[in-house]
Amino acid sequence: MQYEVEVGGRRLQVVVTRSGDEFTVAVDGHPSRVDAARIDGHTLSLIVANGSAVDGQRLASREVSVAPDPISGQLAVHVGATAVTVTLNGRRRWGRKDDGAGTGSGPQRLVAPMPGKVVRVLVKAGDQVTARQPVVVVEAMKMENELRAGRGGTVAEILAREGMSVDAGALLLVIQ
Amino acid sequence: MKKILIANRGEIAVRIIRACRELGVSPVAVYSECDRTALHVRYADEAYAIGPSAPRESYLRLEALIDAARKSGADGVHPGYGFLAENEHFAAAVRDAGLTFIGPTPEAIGTMGSKTAARTAARRAGVPVVPGTEDPLAPDATASEIAAAADAIGYPLLVKAVAGGGGKGMRTVTEAADLAGAVRAARSEAGAAFGDAAVYLERRLTRPRHIEVQLLGDVHGTVLPFVERECSIQRRHQKVVEETPSLAVSPAVRSAMAAAAASVASAVGYTNAGTIEFLLDEDGRFYFLEMNTRLQVEHPITEMVTGIDLVRWQIRIARGERLDLDPERLLRPHGHAIECRIYAEDPDNNFLPSPGRIQQLRVPAGPGIRDDSGATAGLDVPIFYDPMISKLVAWAEDRPLALARMRRALGEYLVTGIKTTVPFFSWLLAQPDFQAGRFHTTYLDEVLKARNGRPFVEPSPAVEEIAAIAAALEAVMSPSTLAADAPAAHAERPNARRWRAHARAEGLR
Repeated sequence: MQYEVEVGGRRLQVVVTRSGDEFTVAVDGHPSRVDAARIDGHTLSLIVANGSAVDGQRLASREVSVAPDPISGQLAVHVGATAVTVTLNGRRRWGRKDDGAGTGSGPQRLVAPMPGKVVRVLVKAGDQVTARQPVVVVEAMKMENELRAGRGGTVAEILAREGMSVDAGALLLVIQ
Repeated sequence: MKKILIANRGEIAVRIIRACRELGVSPVAVYSECDRTALHVRYADEAYAIGPSAPRESYLRLEALIDAARKSGADGVHPGYGFLAENEHFAAAVRDAGLTFIGPTPEAIGTMGSKTAARTAARRAGVPVVPGTEDPLAPDATASEIAAAADAIGYPLLVKAVAGGGGKGMRTVTEAADLAGAVRAARSEAGAAFGDAAVYLERRLTRPRHIEVQLLGDVHGTVLPFVERECSIQRRHQKVVEETPSLAVSPAVRSAMAAAAASVASAVGYTNAGTIEFLLDEDGRFYFLEMNTRLQVEHPITEMVTGIDLVRWQIRIARGERLDLDPERLLRPHGHAIECRIYAEDPDNNFLPSPGRIQQLRVPAGPGIRDDSGATAGLDVPIFYDPMISKLVAWAEDRPLALARMRRALGEYLVTGIKTTVPFFSWLLAQPDFQAGRFHTTYLDEVLKARNGRPFVEPSPAVEEIAAIAAALEAVMSPSTLAADAPAAHAERPNARRWRAHARAEGLR
C-alpha cells in the first residue's frame, strides 16, 4: 500500500508491504523493518530496524497512537508523549462532519473557537470595525474570552445572540 | 466526625476522599448531571445528584448541598477550593444545619474573603499592603469617578474582584482608555464566578514575585505558618507552576514573612487552613496581597517538603484537635518540590480550552512523583468547569534534581483525545531563566508574547517519520479505526482552520 503523508510541512511517500509477521515500511525510498504489536484500539508498540546495513543492528522502540483529531480533521499521532499532526493522502477531514459553513475566501467569518456561551455581542450589524477590535465575548470554562476581528470591515451579519450556547466552529458573525 | 460530604468535584474531591479514607471517615460525593461518571463519584461511599451541569444549578446551590448532607447523615462538610469554598453564607448554612464546616468560621471568611476588608485587617496588624482603593468601587460609580480613583493610584493598575481568586475577575489596565472596559469585564466575570460583582483598584508593582505562606490555625488559638511557596509563574494572573522553597527568599525574609502572616491570621482569630499571599519586590520588601480562606490548589508542594498532610489536619482541626506540630519543622523544608497544573487547554492555540473525551491517559509515576488527578480515560472534560485536570508534583533533594524529575515525568505523561498543557511545561522547564530562578509575576506573559505562538514542541524529523510510519501502518492494519468517524464528504472546512489561524495571529482577548 502506498500513502502520501504530510507531516511538519514535508510530503513523504510511504510504502507499506507485509512480510510475514512484520512490515517493511519505506519512507521516500528508505526502507525499515517494523514489528508492530497492537496495545489497544489506538495504540501500537513499534520496534523499528533501519534498513541500512550499518544501522541494521539498532532496534528503536517507539510507542505510537493514531486517532482522528475531531477539531482539525487531521490525524493526531503521538510518538511517546509527543504529539505530531499528520495528513494521510491529502485527506484532512478524518472524523469531522462537514457543517456546510461555506467557503473561506471573501468575507471574514468569525466562528466560536470552543464550545461555550455567548456572553456579549459588542457590535451591531452595519458597524464599522477595526482590526483587533473585540466583537463577541464567549465564556467557556469559567473564563470570558474576547473574540476580535481579524481585520477591519463592516459587520454584515450577526448570528450570535447573548446567552446562546455555541459549539466549536459555530458561525458567530460575518465581517465584510 | 464519621462522615464527610465533599461539596466539590474533580481532582480536589478525589484528594479529600483520600484523606477521609486514611482517617477512617466515610466520604460522600455530590455530582452534577455531566459528572455522573466522574472519578470522585466512583471513589465515594455515597453520591447525591445536585442538579444540572451549570455550576449555578449544582455546585453553587447551597440548599442542594445542605440537603444532600442531611440525607447522607454526614456530620462534616468539606468545600474544597473554588465554588463555595470562600462563601461565608455557605459556611454559615452548614453551621446552622448543625454540621461542621471544614474550614474557617463564616466571620473569618467574611473578613478575609473580602479583599478590601482583608487589606484593612493587614494594615491594622502592622503588615504593609499594596497601595489601592480602600473600599470597593460603588456599583453605580460613574466613569469619571472610577477614572479619578484610578488616577489617584496611578497606572499600571489592576482591577480586582473583591470576592476574587484564581485570576478570575481581574484585569490589568495600562492606560486610562482601557479602564472602563476592564472594569466592565472584571465585574461581569466576578459576578458569574463568585456571585459578587464588586471590584476595587490596586497598583501593579513592577516585576514583583508572588510569594505565599500557608497557615494552619486550631480552635485553641494556635496559628502555625509554613515555609513559603513561590507562585510567580502565572499566565494571565493564574498560577501555572508553583515551587517551594523560593530561591528569592532568604532565611531572614522567610521568618519575617511567616511572622507577618501569622499575625494577620491571629488578628482575625483564623482557624483551619489558609494562605496569606504577598508580593515581594526586587529589594526584598514584601506587601500583603490577600488571604485565601481555604485550601490552595498548590498545597501538595508544602506537603512534600514538610511531610504534613494538610487535608488531614483540616479535618483534625475541625474535630477540635490541637495543632501539636513542631513550628520549627514547618519552616525547614526537606528538599524541594514543584507543581505543574495540567490543564485541558491547547498551548499551541493560545491556550484555548480543549474540552472533550480523554481517549488515553497514562500518568507518570516512580520516585518523587505525585499526580493528584480526577481524570481517567473515557471521561469527558466538561465545558462547565475549570479546565484543570491534574496537579503533577515532583519532589527531590534539591531544586535542579526536582526540575530534572519533573521533566522526566512530563515526558511520561500521555494524554490523547484532548490537548493539555504538558508540552508547554516541557518547554518552560527547559528555559534558562526559569532554571536559574530569574522570574517574576509577568515573566511568563512576556516570554509567551515574545514567542508569538511558536509551537512548544517541534518534533524532530526522525519523530515525524515515525509518525508517518504509524499513520500508514494504522491505515493498513486497522483502516476502520481511521475510517469509522470519517465523514461521507471530504469537503474542505476552511472555518475550523481559519479560526485557529486567526486565534494564533490575533490572540483571543
